[in-house]
Amino acid sequence: MDSALNRVYTEGEKALFAAFDSANLSGDARDEAIAALKQNGLPTRKVEAFHYTDLRSLLRGDFTIAHVPSHEDARKAGAAFPRLVDGAAVLHFRDGHFLDFGEAMPAGISVSTRLPDAATTNDVANALGQLNMAFATGGACITVDANAKVAQTIGIAHTPVATQSLAASRVAIEVGSKTECTFVERGVGPDGNTYLHAPATDLNIAEGASVTYTMVIEEGADARRLGRLSVWLAKDAKLKLNVIAFGGKLVRQELNFVVQGEGVELEIAGINLIGEENHIDITSRIDHQVPDTTSTELFRNVVTQRGRGVFQGQIKVAQPAQHTDARMACNTLLLSDDCDFSAKPELEIFADDVQCAHGATVADIEDSHLFYLRARGLKEDAARRLLVKAFVGEVLDEMEDEALAETLSGRIDAWMERHV
Amino acid sequence: MLEIKNLHARIEEDGTEILRGLNLTVKAGEVAAIMGPNGSGKSTLSYVLSGKEDYEVTEGSITYAGEDLLELDVSERAAAGVFLAFQYPVEIPGVPTMTFLKEAMNSQRKERGEGELSTPDFIKRVREEAKKLEIDFNMLKRPVNVGFSGGEKKRAEILQMSLLEPKLCVLDETDSGLDIDALKVVADGVNHLRSPDRAVIVITHYQRLLDYIVPDTVHVLSKGKIVKSGDKTLALELEEKGYSEIIEQAA
Ligand SMILES: Nc1ncnc2c1ncn2[C@@H]1O[C@H](COP(=O)(O)OP(=O)(O)OP(=O)(O)O)[C@@H](O)[C@H]1O
Ligand SMILES: [Mg+2]
Repeated sequence: MDSALNRVYTEGEKALFAAFDSANLSGDARDEAIAALKQNGLPTRKVEAFHYTDLRSLLRGDFTIAHVPSHEDARKAGAAFPRLVDGAAVLHFRDGHFLDFGEAMPAGISVSTRLPDAATTNDVANALGQLNMAFATGGACITVDANAKVAQTIGIAHTPVATQSLAASRVAIEVGSKTECTFVERGVGPDGNTYLHAPATDLNIAEGASVTYTMVIEEGADARRLGRLSVWLAKDAKLKLNVIAFGGKLVRQELNFVVQGEGVELEIAGINLIGEENHIDITSRIDHQVPDTTSTELFRNVVTQRGRGVFQGQIKVAQPAQHTDARMACNTLLLSDDCDFSAKPELEIFADDVQCAHGATVADIEDSHLFYLRARGLKEDAARRLLVKAFVGEVLDEMEDEALAETLSGRIDAWMERHV
Repeated sequence: MLEIKNLHARIEEDGTEILRGLNLTVKAGEVAAIMGPNGSGKSTLSYVLSGKEDYEVTEGSITYAGEDLLELDVSERAAAGVFLAFQYPVEIPGVPTMTFLKEAMNSQRKERGEGELSTPDFIKRVREEAKKLEIDFNMLKRPVNVGFSGGEKKRAEILQMSLLEPKLCVLDETDSGLDIDALKVVADGVNHLRSPDRAVIVITHYQRLLDYIVPDTVHVLSKGKIVKSGDKTLALELEEKGYSEIIEQAA
């Protein structure tokens, strides 16, 4: 084991520790987290969970802790990115700090803007947890009252204001029993800003509640994002999660699900659009602990130019979790010779009466499809885009909020204009 | 309208020559039937006309409406009015038929410097043409050709042809897979498109289609060449005597 003493830190690691020292962040939990990062260094490909995303070499420096921006600057920074959902009630985070723009929350929702509690381990594979623990400044605890049926979408918007900010925040959402609610979390920023965004969200869904959650990752072309969403699902809880990622330069998004109540239905569907020299890694863990639960997970990835994509999908079925039905699929279109995608499905099944399926496919656009479309007059670019759109369309078609799906569809078109 | 001279084409991948000195002239307003044994190169000719990159033209020329067709890529040829009704129409999962039709019509219009069709005008046109071809409009809500029966695919090809109003229509065994009533409906659709400024090439094995779409000329393709040409009676003669006798006579 390397010790902290003889370790040579990279620019990225040095920038992290310098940011911590300069920021006056106090508290034992923070100190322990930064000590773990110093002790372990950032994970390299030798750490299994980071095998395809060598964080140590990929996370360069060029970021530092930013102070709370003025309301005016914060508003300006957000104004560059029109909202994804009209009429949503939005909680705003800027450079990791919560800013109160006085948006009223609908009935049944209460928000306290303090940093929620969290737990971390010292494990090297838990670098994202330690990072968030050490650096999170802004936070919110959102409570959805039991039995509330909330029609209005709750937005959680993260945008950088300063250049090169290390923006870490933590949101905890407690969804009461038998509620229905919808969240859209979005990280978005300008190109040319090497900010580091490290958001963590804990979502606790109580018995019989039904949640729709859309995570939109639209970080700037030079941005780094190290995010984690952790979800606990109680008896008969339902979650429909969509993850739509367009970039940053380096994105690692961890998705952790603990299925701890019988009758849970978990549905995850995502789109990763990976161009330029972007590296996007979705690492998900679904932990089925009890009988009679279902999970489906579908990712459609489009990779082009020198993009690199990673999907690690772990499904664990504990011994008592009989009658688990878990299905995972990861389909990828590779559009250039220099792009790359690594898919690693991982099943750990200890129960005997279960249905588990996983499949990963990688393909290019079908020549026969392309020819047929062109033979009807579509230009090659238009034909390719139509086919790429068809490939990711299944995810959009299944989205609950049609207006949001429409907006995202427009974003995907804009992405394709530049990359396909 | 179309003049093919000494056309040699081979499969790009392995260099196998399929068309070996093919000559064919089709005038504006003409319906030309091409018949010939399996594997003689009929579909290859249709692909070469539409510009499929799997084939390489090594010799000869194709002049279309006074221009060198070989200079144009696949979509340019389509915009210039070349239409191929595929022997095996391709299923494209995920692409809604209506989206596809609209993009096809509009990109051709754009290429020709015409304005885009409005959505209501577009839907109206599709409804009209679908009705003539007895195509259930609901079928068009499905992805392109996906799950269409053999006959439905062929009708969908003719629907596309009617909507795109090409100048040179190449129908590759459009009659295969059609029931007797559908054959008549499809033939009506094609006859409807017959006009003095349009040429049609009908590739078929059977006289039955030619009873409905009466050709002006009939050509026999064998081993990558047109070995015999005649009027509509040649098709009847073929039906009676079979290919081998006619091809032997021609040799
Ligand atoms: N891409 C290809 N690769 C290999 N062989 C090919 C390819 N395309 C055509 N051929 C061969 O070229 C020859 C001509 O094929 P083509 O499809 O043009 O025949 P056809 O006259 O249309 O036959 P049919 O009446 O059965 O439709 C056949 O021997 C076929 O196997
Ligand atoms: Mg053929």
